[in-house]
Amino acid sequence: MIVRSGQRWLWLVLFLAPAMVLFTMYFVYPLGFVFVTSTLEWNGVSAAKFVGLQNYIDNFGSRSFQFSIRNNFIWLGSLAVVQIALAALVAMILARQPRGWRFLRTVYFLPNVISQVAIAMMWAALYNAEYGAINQFLELLGLEHLTHNWLGEIGTALPSILIQQVFYIGYFMIIIMASTMSIPESYYQAAQIDGANVLQQELYITLPMIRSILVTSMTLAAAYGLRHFEATFLLTDGGPAHRTSVLGIQLYKMTSALDYGHANAVGGTLVVLGLIVITLIRSTLGRRVAADEAKQ
Amino acid sequence: MQAVAAQRLTFAGGTARVGKWIVLIFFFIFTFLPLIWLLISSFKTNLELQTNAFGLPAIWQFQNYVNAVQISSLPRLFLNSVIVSVCSTFLTLAVTSMAAFVFAREKFPLQQPLLNLILAGVLVPIIGLMAPYFRLVNSLGLYDSLVALILTYTGINLPISTFLMHGFMKTIPAELEEAAEIDGASFVQRFTKVVFPLSRVGLVTAGTFVFLFSWNEFIYALLLTSRTASRTLQLGIRFFVSQFFTDYTSMFAAIVLTIIPSIAVYVFLHEKIIKGLTSGALKG
Amino acid sequence: MRRVISTLIVLVLALVMTTSLMATGGSEMAEGEITLDFPTFWVGQDSKSGPIASLLETFNAMHEGEIRVLIEPNPSTDGYRDKLNTQLASGRAPDLFVFAPDPTTFQYYETDILMDFTDDLAGSWGDVFSGGQIAGATRNGRTKSVPYEVSIIPIWYNSDLFDQAGIDSFPVDLAEFQVAATALKDAGIVPTSQMTGGSNAWTSMLWFSHAAASLGGPGVWDLPLSDPIFTQAAEVLRSMYLDGNTTRDAVGGDAGVSGGHYMAGDTAMFINGPWYIGRIRGDAPEVHAATMLASIPQVGEYSGHQLGGPLSNLGAANTTSAARRDAVVTWMQFMTEPANVRMMSESSGALFGIKYELGADADPLQQEFVRVASEASFLVDHFASAYTVDVVAEFGQALAEMALGEFTPQEFIQALIDKDNE
Repeated sequence: MIVRSGQRWLWLVLFLAPAMVLFTMYFVYPLGFVFVTSTLEWNGVSAAKFVGLQNYIDNFGSRSFQFSIRNNFIWLGSLAVVQIALAALVAMILARQPRGWRFLRTVYFLPNVISQVAIAMMWAALYNAEYGAINQFLELLGLEHLTHNWLGEIGTALPSILIQQVFYIGYFMIIIMASTMSIPESYYQAAQIDGANVLQQELYITLPMIRSILVTSMTLAAAYGLRHFEATFLLTDGGPAHRTSVLGIQLYKMTSALDYGHANAVGGTLVVLGLIVITLIRSTLGRRVAADEAKQ
Repeated sequence: MQAVAAQRLTFAGGTARVGKWIVLIFFFIFTFLPLIWLLISSFKTNLELQTNAFGLPAIWQFQNYVNAVQISSLPRLFLNSVIVSVCSTFLTLAVTSMAAFVFAREKFPLQQPLLNLILAGVLVPIIGLMAPYFRLVNSLGLYDSLVALILTYTGINLPISTFLMHGFMKTIPAELEEAAEIDGASFVQRFTKVVFPLSRVGLVTAGTFVFLFSWNEFIYALLLTSRTASRTLQLGIRFFVSQFFTDYTSMFAAIVLTIIPSIAVYVFLHEKIIKGLTSGALKG
Repeated sequence: MRRVISTLIVLVLALVMTTSLMATGGSEMAEGEITLDFPTFWVGQDSKSGPIASLLETFNAMHEGEIRVLIEPNPSTDGYRDKLNTQLASGRAPDLFVFAPDPTTFQYYETDILMDFTDDLAGSWGDVFSGGQIAGATRNGRTKSVPYEVSIIPIWYNSDLFDQAGIDSFPVDLAEFQVAATALKDAGIVPTSQMTGGSNAWTSMLWFSHAAASLGGPGVWDLPLSDPIFTQAAEVLRSMYLDGNTTRDAVGGDAGVSGGHYMAGDTAMFINGPWYIGRIRGDAPEVHAATMLASIPQVGEYSGHQLGGPLSNLGAANTTSAARRDAVVTWMQFMTEPANVRMMSESSGALFGIKYELGADADPLQQEFVRVASEASFLVDHFASAYTVDVVAEFGQALAEMALGEFTPQEFIQALIDKDNE
């Protein structure tokens, strides 16, 4: 028994070691670098100067940073709530295998395979005020008063990018669907005998069974909301007037300006914010899932 | 009474059916449109793309495809992308499934803090780590190699993959493992024979994610490589960007050429994976 | 278990493949040959990619067995800049590189990992450069890069559209400009192409620079931003966004939008440098033929000036090896040799800070550029070359704010001052 326990420890360490080594290389060391440099005034080439928390104070006082942090929370909410809800809805519909479900599943996933650059170009063309298809369509319907410079007006820019991203549900739909399809058929047959209709079956069988993957998806989507960068960078670069900026954009702009101190203070802020949000999700929704699973 | 209930049921069923198809068609248009647009645009001139983004090209510019093939040495870059994406996917799955197994199924000191530490990595804005990653890869002597990219993509995806795998492994009933242990299964066998095969959903989920990330990644591919021999497709696509002008239509032609195989691979693999899922699902 | 095994087999196979691929590079390096890596964005579709490749071929043939320059293609300029910054921040400069000189990039000079060309340029090599070029690349008495491409950025106008609106000459002051703008709008033509997007609101930033130079003269960028002339220049820029003086998509639009409207014949006036000639000749030949160049209508006390200045400098990594240093200087001298520069200029349309004559069969619009540059009352660089990258980025954001009526010109300038003080 003692031999076995010794062996267990050996295996345990062996199983963990590769992950821990990689994690140290790619996260512990770089994050240490980020947090240390976030307290410096440093342009990357000349000697650095220690400034304590001044970079963080400067950031929180700047208007563009304030817009960015607000927008990050809007992104977080839209992705974690709206996108996941839509993905779950479509996954539940497709898991019932309606006509053409295989084809649709593939099509819904396509935007993930196409380069973001091309997708952003198409949306810029859709939204363009002069040539854009959306405005042309509205004019055709005689609704000229509804046309906008979609990506260039303060009121419409952020919603335009959000809509573009929130409806690309492919990845989350696939993982939720995989989970949905692994629910044993017999559960639904039993419910059908009891007279439950489709909606009731989804509500009382599917939803509880996929709750754990939903929480996982929401956590991931929340993390994406905080880390969001690419679509905004490609469509508006944070404009007009910082109204669509997010922390990732601020970080990138500061890095380009060789202002590593402030840039890494943005990075540090993102990590701390993320920790708080994820802890909140896990300690509320996650705990309920764990409790429910224990009951079963 | 019963008849009314039945009527209500069919009515509800009817609206649900109409609603269902509205949802499906909406998402179909939303996701299929970019592909069609991309395909048509890849035959236009750049001026047409700018001024008539949704019309058909006046003259179909097959030249764009010639440019795409000539300029950016696509086949080599495509091969590199396949190697990098496949290797980093398998490496990530191997490393993280072992770690997740230990975290989900074993008990040891500092377990929760360690797990939380790794999961916190999901939140790190990767774009802010250019300087440390460049230093790291250089100090390992891996600058300008495919291995640098494979290792970096594995490292970047470690937290998310551990997170997903851990979530799935947690849901596997403990009785299965206990039964195996009574049958004399060792530590390694509990992993290879029980937990790993039952985590297929998790493996697919994490694997898809890592693959897509590696396939689409641009910033680190540029930072960590310099010769065509070690560069990936995303860099080839950017070959049509230049200081004052981007040849979008030739770039689109290159994108179309590269997504045809990726869609084929995706459709083929996905069918296999889903089959594996439904046949191997937890039976009761 | 079979799955695990097959997984491992694939993994091993793949790793074998990659290691074999890793070993392909650098095998043909000759003994004693000095190899210089040259990461650059002058590749692919860039108008200088062809001439650079042919110069490189000539150079490598001339120095066979001694020096070899290898191009590392980085077509995306943003990606190139990020990589260069990261490399420098890690203490590793590329052997040879290109950068756009501005107050942000001149911080590179603070490190000693850049090669110092001060002494080399003091000799006869220094004579090939046009006046002021070397001084422009010198900071604190040290010249740590070689001046190369320069910009001349006049106002472009479409003479066909001006004819259509019944305007026979380019407006010389703001009053005439307003009359011309009204005539153009009456003819259904949008007067100017503007943009607030991109990393620097490029064309609008140039209009602002032209106006500021007309108000502040050759030393305009030595004045503090709090000087009232900048508020006046901002007022001029704002008027470009009012009353249909530009397209509706200008706020948020990028260089593609701004240039696209001019090439499509939607707008009558545009601003850009000579590198845009090739593009417009290919995509919109009628507009190319109708394009004339001018200086901005007089806003302040100065007139007849043009925007111009250094656009790209050549840098190199410092080295302790005298042979490597010689190799780098040999390459730099080759690149700046007037005959080579002329070939590069004629074939790409770009202009250089080196003394050379264009041939008579060069593009007429390009010759026009040389003419307006020589006839200019003075040359002054644009706003983006005088301020750091973060202030320039703020320019576009604050401009959108002003164009959308949220900022007055004073507030617009104040936003720039605040950013500059950070």
